[in-house]
Amino acid sequence: MTVRLLLAALALSASLTPAHGQPARPAAKTAPAAARPDLSGFWMLMRQQKPVDPGLVAKLPPNTALLDDSGAVEFVAGAFGGLKLKPAAREAAARWKAEDEMTVSRACARPSIVYATQGPFPFEILQGTEFIIFRYEYFDLVRVIFMDGRSHPGADAPHSKTGHSIGHWEGDELVVDTTHLEHATITNNGLDHSDNIHVVERFKRSPDGKTLMSTMWFEDPEVLDNNGARYIQWRSEPGQIYPYDCDPAFGANYTNAEKK
Amino acid sequence: MNRLSVVIAVAIAGAAAGSAAAHHSFAVFFDANKVISVTGAVTDFRFVNPHGEIGLTVQGKGGQTEQWRVETNSPSILQRRGWRRDSLKPGDTVTVEGWPSRDGKRYLRLLKATRGDGTVIGIPFDQAQQQ
Repeated sequence: MTVRLLLAALALSASLTPAHGQPARPAAKTAPAAARPDLSGFWMLMRQQKPVDPGLVAKLPPNTALLDDSGAVEFVAGAFGGLKLKPAAREAAARWKAEDEMTVSRACARPSIVYATQGPFPFEILQGTEFIIFRYEYFDLVRVIFMDGRSHPGADAPHSKTGHSIGHWEGDELVVDTTHLEHATITNNGLDHSDNIHVVERFKRSPDGKTLMSTMWFEDPEVLDNNGARYIQWRSEPGQIYPYDCDPAFGANYTNAEKK
Repeated sequence: MNRLSVVIAVAIAGAAAGSAAAHHSFAVFFDANKVISVTGAVTDFRFVNPHGEIGLTVQGKGGQTEQWRVETNSPSILQRRGWRRDSLKPGDTVTVEGWPSRDGKRYLRLLKATRGDGTVIGIPFDQAQQQ
């Protein structure tokens, strides 16, 4: 789906009503329109990801490791921030080599939102009443958050790097539930999530409105014995999303680089 | 011809060094505890994702010619730090400081780039407010 189509859908969403004679969609679990916070805007990932918002972190379920790698920080090989890997996942991570990502076939392999959301790039929120669009600069990822009360599709529906997201408001927090994510990295060092990962995000503005604070929680029993989460925050500033348009020739140039 | 300048300049450990997330893992791929400096003539400058790239011809200590590749942040990030797609041209002399790859190749991750006249290009990584 192109950004242009998404924008058209967003424009419609503010006034969309069920056609006469058509079954109405289930009521969205939303706050009254007048009470909904406006999260729209251009959000730049903050270099400093601390301090975290204690209210959001307190809502994380038990048995969750809060990963300390949001933004600029990254884990070295073999470090997973408290995630407890199943044996097969640990063995796969041990086999993984950083150089393997530096090839023509892998240089432009897109991450899923599990890793991409905390990456060092801005994103834009376009907020309607029945849809909210997240437009990420990183790998040109675009998500549609359905706010119209629909459910996730069946398990056999196609999976993607952005998955299927449904949202609702809880007070001043946007809560987004995502499934149907295609397998991709969690920590960018050999640990991949499965196609059955389940993600729940919470977003809210800081009291001064200048910071967008969030948690991204995930469970993936095929890969992990516990759950994981990241705290991620962005600041509001003027700006625009640039095209990413990844060029895999980068991988070839690395492959051909001279040995000392 | 540019004179060789491959100098192990500074050993930097800590937050400033170990922080350059991108599509491939900085922490795994580069040595965050070492910064080296390379001076050479630009052969190509690619302002494309997932990383910009600078190709350099460098004269080695023994007089041999070495080809170095320098990986930068994403062009969109560089753009916000004052870089432009024509910031470097083939033949320009430039000194780059960066973190060496762990694989033994002549390959760096850019920290700072300085022209032959001493002008620093854009805002260096360790001075940037954003990523």
